[in-house]
Amino acid sequence: MAWITKQSGTMRIARREEPYFTPAMKREMTSKVLPRYETRLACTMPGLHLIQHEYGWVPAQAMEELAEFLGVSPAEVLDCASFYEEYWLKPKGKHLIGVCRSIACEFCGQPEVTEAIKAKLAIDVGETTEDGRFTLIELECLGACGGGPAMLVDETLHENVKPGVVGAILDSVKDDGHH
Amino acid sequence: MPPSLKAGKPILTARIPTFPYGKEQDRHTVSYDEYVKTGGYTALRKALSMAPEAVVDEVKKSQLRGRGGAGFPTGLKWTFLPKVAPGPDGKPGDPGQRYLAVNADESEPGTFKDRLLLDFDPHLQLEGIAIACYACRIKTAFIFIRGEYHHQTHITEKAIKEAYANGIFGGKGLLNGAKTATGEPWVVDCYVHRGAGAYICGEETGLLEALEGKRGWPRIKPPFPAVKGLFGKPTIINNVETLCHVPSIIEHGADWFSKQGCDSTVGGPPSWGTKLMGVSGHVNRPGVYECDLGIKLSTLVNDYCGGMRGGKKFKGAIAGGVSMGILGPDQFDAEMDFDIGRKYNVMGLGTACPTIFDEDTDMVAVARNIARFFKHESCGQCTPCREGSGWLYQLMCRIEEGQGKTKDLDLALEIATSMGIMPGTTICGLADGNNWALRTIMNKYRDEFEKRVKPSFIPVKMTIGAGAKG
Repeated sequence: MAWITKQSGTMRIARREEPYFTPAMKREMTSKVLPRYETRLACTMPGLHLIQHEYGWVPAQAMEELAEFLGVSPAEVLDCASFYEEYWLKPKGKHLIGVCRSIACEFCGQPEVTEAIKAKLAIDVGETTEDGRFTLIELECLGACGGGPAMLVDETLHENVKPGVVGAILDSVKDDGHH
Repeated sequence: MPPSLKAGKPILTARIPTFPYGKEQDRHTVSYDEYVKTGGYTALRKALSMAPEAVVDEVKKSQLRGRGGAGFPTGLKWTFLPKVAPGPDGKPGDPGQRYLAVNADESEPGTFKDRLLLDFDPHLQLEGIAIACYACRIKTAFIFIRGEYHHQTHITEKAIKEAYANGIFGGKGLLNGAKTATGEPWVVDCYVHRGAGAYICGEETGLLEALEGKRGWPRIKPPFPAVKGLFGKPTIINNVETLCHVPSIIEHGADWFSKQGCDSTVGGPPSWGTKLMGVSGHVNRPGVYECDLGIKLSTLVNDYCGGMRGGKKFKGAIAGGVSMGILGPDQFDAEMDFDIGRKYNVMGLGTACPTIFDEDTDMVAVARNIARFFKHESCGQCTPCREGSGWLYQLMCRIEEGQGKTKDLDLALEIATSMGIMPGTTICGLADGNNWALRTIMNKYRDEFEKRVKPSFIPVKMTIGAGAKG
């Protein structure tokens, strides 16, 4: 839910010495992103995507660093990051499993698929496995209604998922590469 | 064999093998070279030989209506941009910065038609963008792709790279700096902007806010985006499929376009052209098909999708994305065109992507699913929508669990009817979608809801008032 207020006023930020927003990322932003937009604020979303792609989530310190780089207030970056669901403001598992729960998928068998994943990973929706490998969420429409039930494992879309093949799909997920 | 297109061959899916004109397994992403070999970018060349106003006029004449859901005439939208005053030397004046925002934020449940175009024929969209930018004097185009479309983002980015390398975009101008009818080349830049999982960004002004790096809260109109849009500059927002229609309209002319589709039977503007229709749900062969507008839903299901799954009976269909409401069991023969809203008591054609339900479907569960979607995706800006969507979801859950009372049905209808821009309580149409979806389901399947609720009062055998007997 995009509009739920998240605690931020009293937020304590866990910090580390090494910056999250690296010089390489700054170079990429300067060369590719900044010239496209009229305002620096508009580069917030591409910047957040860059951070999330690297770390799998968006740490508060990274948001501060991005704000400083763009010359906008950290509150503006948090405002943007907390509105959009795809930005994770707390760490998630290495791999994200998003099961579509919208109209076509639900009535073509999504509840059984979710149950099968829950049983396989021994977690509930919204939880992360103990080894930190998988986080399971349910998403609204993935735009794959013709192939429902559909699920997204990291960046890969699986269509016509049957409860019986869930295990094989999850077993085939490799740990190398990006989040 | 399904009825073939009036044009004789597919238009939008000319390079994407689709039943009955090709086999799905032959699909592949069309590269720049293949696109050009199969006649790609010839429409752009033709457009550049025409005056920009003539291109707009041709699109206007074709009465192409937006394919993103609202069905607003595209050519008319283009004419809302401020007029460009001629320069002092009689040459075309400088329009200043203007933007084209391409809406590829396809998040309406049931809708998956733009994905097909993005997946397999990315250059068709780019050609449409190039023509639109030339016609509307636009220098920068942003393609707003939803965050969940990872694969489609990669494909579009690759296609844009190819287009830059081949002189379509950037550099000296469209088509390697080709001389245009205005005497000057026209330079266009095209970028991808990724969304991050918010349905509301499919609303045009919500999309602009997201492009500006803010939360995707729709803006109050007026001013309309064509006057004051992205970064306060004149902006045109078009759907992917709409732009994909533009090259063929320019190539073959508006008269040719008007031969596809159908005319209005209720005195409204015509529904010309073909439309991608993505059918999902309980049919044998769900998928995206290109059909003439005006095709009957039953024809679409029986001839294109191989009939209902398991030979079951048709119970209902979401008209075109959940916002549009539901077609009841007696509306299987509804014509899929822009008149559908006036004729069948749904909001409109929407994205023309029906979700079909068979006789075993629990319509209360359907209503609950839709209510949950809108509760989840309400952006929280306007109170009637933020609160109303939450209440509706709670009511639907209660009724589904058998805990509801008869008065809950009236309460739900009352909440639904009080939401939306049509009663004038919210900024954008999301609440209207919620309203129409739940109201049509509750009205068309009233008995199913009534069976699930307990009576709110105990009937007493007593008549009062004029009919009372002494």
